[in-house]
Amino acid sequence: MVLALSLCLLLSSLNPATDVIAKDAPNDDGNEIILTWARSDNPTVISYRVLRQTEGEAKWDTVGVAGRLASRFADDEVQNGIRYHYKVLAVSETETAESAISEYAVSSPQWFDLDRLSALIGTIIFTCLIVFFINRAKRHAEKLFIRRIAGLDAVEEALGRATEMGRGILYVPGLSSIDDVATIASMNILGEVAKKTAKFGTPLIVPLRDPIVYTVAREVVRESYTTAGRADSFNQDMVFYVTDQQFAFAAAVDGIMTREKPATNFFIGMFWAESLILAETGASTGAIQIAGTDAVSQLPFFITACDYTLIGEELYAASAYLSREPLLLGAIKGQDYSKLLILAFIIIGTILALAAGLPVQDIF
Amino acid sequence: MIVLVLGIFGAAAFIIPHPIVKGIDGTMRNDVLRIITAFSLVLGVGSIIQHHLIKVRRKAEHWPFSYVTLIALVASAIIGLFGGIDPASPGILPTHIGGFSFHMQTLYENVMVPLAATMFALLAFFMASAAYRAFRARNLEATLLLIAAFILMLGAVPLGRMLIRPLPDFAEWILTVPNTAAKRGIMFGIGLGSIATSLKIILGIERGWLGGGGK
Amino acid sequence: MKFWDRLLRIDRRWLYAIIWLVVMIPLLFPFKIKPMAMPPVTRLFNYIDTMPEDKTLVISVDYTPDIQPELHPMCIALLRHAFANHRKVGLLTLQVMGLGLGEAAIRQVTEEFNSRATTHEDSIINGEDYVYWGWTTPIITILLGMGERITNVFPVDYYGHRTDSLPIMAQLKNYDDIGIVVSIAGSSIPISWVNFANTQFGVPIGCGATAVSAADYYPYLNSGQFTGMMAGMKGAAEYEQLVADKFDELGIRWELRRKGTEAMSSQTAAHIAIMIFIIIGNIAFFITRRRKK
Repeated sequence: MVLALSLCLLLSSLNPATDVIAKDAPNDDGNEIILTWARSDNPTVISYRVLRQTEGEAKWDTVGVAGRLASRFADDEVQNGIRYHYKVLAVSETETAESAISEYAVSSPQWFDLDRLSALIGTIIFTCLIVFFINRAKRHAEKLFIRRIAGLDAVEEALGRATEMGRGILYVPGLSSIDDVATIASMNILGEVAKKTAKFGTPLIVPLRDPIVYTVAREVVRESYTTAGRADSFNQDMVFYVTDQQFAFAAAVDGIMTREKPATNFFIGMFWAESLILAETGASTGAIQIAGTDAVSQLPFFITACDYTLIGEELYAASAYLSREPLLLGAIKGQDYSKLLILAFIIIGTILALAAGLPVQDIF
Repeated sequence: MIVLVLGIFGAAAFIIPHPIVKGIDGTMRNDVLRIITAFSLVLGVGSIIQHHLIKVRRKAEHWPFSYVTLIALVASAIIGLFGGIDPASPGILPTHIGGFSFHMQTLYENVMVPLAATMFALLAFFMASAAYRAFRARNLEATLLLIAAFILMLGAVPLGRMLIRPLPDFAEWILTVPNTAAKRGIMFGIGLGSIATSLKIILGIERGWLGGGGK
Repeated sequence: MKFWDRLLRIDRRWLYAIIWLVVMIPLLFPFKIKPMAMPPVTRLFNYIDTMPEDKTLVISVDYTPDIQPELHPMCIALLRHAFANHRKVGLLTLQVMGLGLGEAAIRQVTEEFNSRATTHEDSIINGEDYVYWGWTTPIITILLGMGERITNVFPVDYYGHRTDSLPIMAQLKNYDDIGIVVSIAGSSIPISWVNFANTQFGVPIGCGATAVSAADYYPYLNSGQFTGMMAGMKGAAEYEQLVADKFDELGIRWELRRKGTEAMSSQTAAHIAIMIFIIIGNIAFFITRRRKK
């Protein structure tokens, strides 16, 4: 038997895969073992077959096939806590060659994803900075400086103009869902705008595309009217759902702008291709337009067609700017210092990479 | 409190791959969100019906259009629910008269698609008018923007290469180098801004979105 | 001088009318323009062209009918390229509204090839040369699941066949058997492909994007997360040109419609018109400003 096997091996021209290593897949929720091997140097190999044996059992199961260029296989059909070992079969058109058997490996779920350590450290530093500046803001509120944002200064003027003209204000909080930070930021601004329309008695129109955003927006406006002491002026019909179809929504808003001719249009939140359709129609009705989005590709359209545009993070800063709430302003300060830190890291990293050819990228 | 717990849990699930945490996170993201969306859709449809019924009742300006919306809403709901999707999978309602079918798929292909494409096509006209109206070399920044836009527009059509051979490559360079650099700058700001906003919400500093007006 | 004042305040409907004419006339009477491929398109083409024979090209039809004119020619060009090159193709869609578009594209291209085929080898056969998995949801489950076993994610194909019974699927188990995934979309779905399929499984990703959203994707292109990209109608026309050159090289002399290229004359005219608008607008602006001074 041994002789026959040795003869077979001698006759076989196919070299097997070597260095077969089985390891628990790192940073995962378990049930996965990663198998790696050094490929056979034989050009006739067409694929590798991965075989697995459970400890205490005699039979080998084929768990998968990998292409001839593969040297890695993830076996995700294993159970946690059970010991398995593997071998890899190099397959050519006519023959196969078996590798040595790997050491035993056991899969287990991890409690911490080490790959995301840099993200965690970054978030912790960032959180500390923000909390620090929020606390400082509580003590020295008067010292906080925030640069002028023309678009937000214009809010008051725009509302005043609408009131003088006896026309309404249109507020479109983007087309995204509530889990988009831009939408949440837009809700914060809507709250401030609604307080002012409540104060001046200006009609407010808020058409919406997402049903969840609709329910949130309705509550925001209702609360703002109550806070402004004008709960009686709040009308259910101010905030309404239109459709979830992107261009049907754009058509509806265009219709509202051409029929109702609001004096001011706010387009604040997440927008896609409809941004220019909305902004140009609004411009043709002669309205003052204030836009704000973190959709970088839509910014040029808003900048071109609107009177004022909040660019990227200005959108998030808006509620702090409008409400002048020290705690919110403190958070912005923290944000700025974090940006400074990132900038410093980029410069240091670039210098290191250029000067020493260090693999800086690998750290992150 | 709910926001605080769920917010921290959501952030934790990003770094904890353990099945217990992953499982709960998955249920929250998929099942719970789906249920909430379904219920809020009912509220949304209620809102649109109410909005247009009020217009009809008050005979507000252009009120007949509200009838169009309401009829379209009801008709498409009935066809969608009972009329089947296409001739291959008919529903309980007959959705064709002779060779004329008005299945959901037919309506979609012949009403929705052309209407949406028309709205999208309007962009060409609006781009032209916006460019004419607002693209002025008022100051240095605007002039630079104008020149960059010019190069890109010319580089984006085959004519650009015919006129000046390296122009499309230069246009590509503008897109890949200065444009990407500026964009990354904005994206850093957006990234930090969104973490800060999330943090403010989780910590309960920002409550404007709940109607609390920041306090 | 009044002329320039009037020009500055021109009724925008005149501009709309001019644009309409400028777009329509070249569509009806196109002038010939030969697109020259830019590096992102060439990279995508070359990658697919030199992909190992046992690898499949996967096209993710992630666009919707409203942006069909811009993106559909990309899908057609990719299919023609793959079939002319004897590469197998898998199609899927992550947008339910793309379902019909994927079917239309594969039907058109298989008809083009099969109507001219003389041997079994030249024919394009469903289940052997291509598979249309159709649509399912949610996106993350699909993108991750395909890394394990595609037949688990799509147990039946678009036409109702069991996928594990299709001959093509015997060699197409998961991402390891896929040469590249090209996601054609107007939304951010290509980024999802990068996040899950490329980052987690290392499968190369190509992208077809609308001209508007293409600018968003350059960082991914620079970092190599996208192997290549077709941007807008121009990208489609460039890919069509590369495929046409490939057809010439293979000795295939078919007169096939190239809708991306056809639209190029219209797009060129529109771009020139807009540039003229800007020039006139600026001349009028400067003349009236100087006069006011």
